[in-house]
Amino acid sequence: MTHVIEVDRLTKRYGDTVAVNEISFTIEKDVIYGLLGRNGAGKTTVMSILTAQNFATSGDVRVFGEQPYENARVLPRVCFVRESQRYPDDAKPPHAFATAKLFFPNWDQELCDRLVDDFQLPMNRRIKKLSRGQLSAVGVIIGLAARAEITFFDEPYLGLDAVARQTFYDRLLEDYAQHPRTVILSSHLIDEVANLIERVLVIDEGRIVMDETTDATRGRAATIVGDADAVDAFTNGREVIHSEALGRVASATVLGTLTDDDRMALTRAGLDVAPVSLQQLIVRMTQRAADERRIREGALR
Amino acid sequence: MTAVTPAAGGGHRVLNVVRMQLINRMTFVWIPLLILGAVFVFSMVIWAMIPYGGPKYSAGAQALIWYLVAVGIQALTLSFPFSQAMSVTRREFFLGTFLTAAVSSVLLAVLCTLGGLVELATDGWGMNGWMFHLDWAWAAGPAGAALAVFAVAMLTFTAGFWGATVYKRFGGLGLAIILVGVGLVGLAALWLVGRLNAWAGVFGWIATAGIVPLSLSLLGIVLVLAATAFAMLRRLVP
Repeated sequence: MTHVIEVDRLTKRYGDTVAVNEISFTIEKDVIYGLLGRNGAGKTTVMSILTAQNFATSGDVRVFGEQPYENARVLPRVCFVRESQRYPDDAKPPHAFATAKLFFPNWDQELCDRLVDDFQLPMNRRIKKLSRGQLSAVGVIIGLAARAEITFFDEPYLGLDAVARQTFYDRLLEDYAQHPRTVILSSHLIDEVANLIERVLVIDEGRIVMDETTDATRGRAATIVGDADAVDAFTNGREVIHSEALGRVASATVLGTLTDDDRMALTRAGLDVAPVSLQQLIVRMTQRAADERRIREGALR
Repeated sequence: MTAVTPAAGGGHRVLNVVRMQLINRMTFVWIPLLILGAVFVFSMVIWAMIPYGGPKYSAGAQALIWYLVAVGIQALTLSFPFSQAMSVTRREFFLGTFLTAAVSSVLLAVLCTLGGLVELATDGWGMNGWMFHLDWAWAAGPAGAALAVFAVAMLTFTAGFWGATVYKRFGGLGLAIILVGVGLVGLAALWLVGRLNAWAGVFGWIATAGIVPLSLSLLGIVLVLAATAFAMLRRLVP
């Protein structure tokens, strides 16, 4: 297992605001990661620091074992596609692609041309006149055709319709299968990317709240639905991350894998089990982390 | 994956930054030529309309100078964020961008000097109209005139780039404070010269020093601005 990125107690402060709070994690080679979290959680900041576009307040960041800042050995091997990328004023998409071809050693022009067709990108219009979705397509095409060893996609799909998003996911997987590389994809559409990403990193209020394989997250939680008393009896002593009730019917989302004994007990009690999607799991985990923080801060006061 | 390991940094990528800046030839080549051409045609028309028989001068070439301020600003505000997306280091971006400006300034200097030579040969386009050949600037010959154009072009580009860097780094207020600061230093210099009763000496130097030392001192200012812009750029977030 090779680590292409190592982050050690990385902190970023903007004045009084702590955007990233002493986070540590590693990124394995040739794995597709989902970097997930709410708006303002610190995802973009982390990616900017890893690509030397932004600066850490403290902590250490290593990419391919080296500091990325002003490092011409490291930077050409990474590509950062950001949602709000700006382009030279009078540039058209072919100008942007021709430039990317100059700087990314693994650039694949054929793939680029094919993606232009796939996304039906108008090549003769200035980038600043493109629609939001077309602008996103320019970034996505650069990110895919650059074939950098590490590619960061920061919410690359803004304004892309469902069909175009699916095209992006399909092409990414296809090309990844032929040219394995490390991809870090930040997204709000968690269930949409759940089948794409192999590992999830969830960041909330500048801290990592989840770092595991996507497979491990399946079956990590289950929702128990049925008679309120029976649900209470079953969930007693378990870690409940969310519960709601409507009249006599209650549902509770519990952490932990259900054993065969559990399943028998549930059947006997007449309770139903519903799977928890990655999105629900992350939403509930994030909410619980926020609740715990509030309680902790309340206790301090 | 057996990735192609790129050549470690260096000159190749700096030259690629030049190509990036020139990839759309509009900004650095066609628009300046268009401005110069238009100004030249306007000057000719105006000269033709003036019945005065003595030498007529056009300061039209300065239109291009103002355009270069805008190019300098855009080189930072738009090209810098894009260069970061292209995984270019700040140093490569800076060197490549200034190399582009230098090459453009050299071409402009050659063009203006050629224009001046033609003016000399045709006695001001047959109308005694002078846009490129200004006696004072040509006191040291064509090479001196070319150096002056180069220095002024570099200074305007660098001033635009420098101002945009300060703005990006310290915001509008920061830029205003720094410009006021520069103004205060200028005032202090004026006061000092007056205090020392040295005005005669200063003007005497400007008048006698000639175009070459003046151009070189402008290039000195370019160096100072470029060096401070680079220091700020090193910590700039796109």
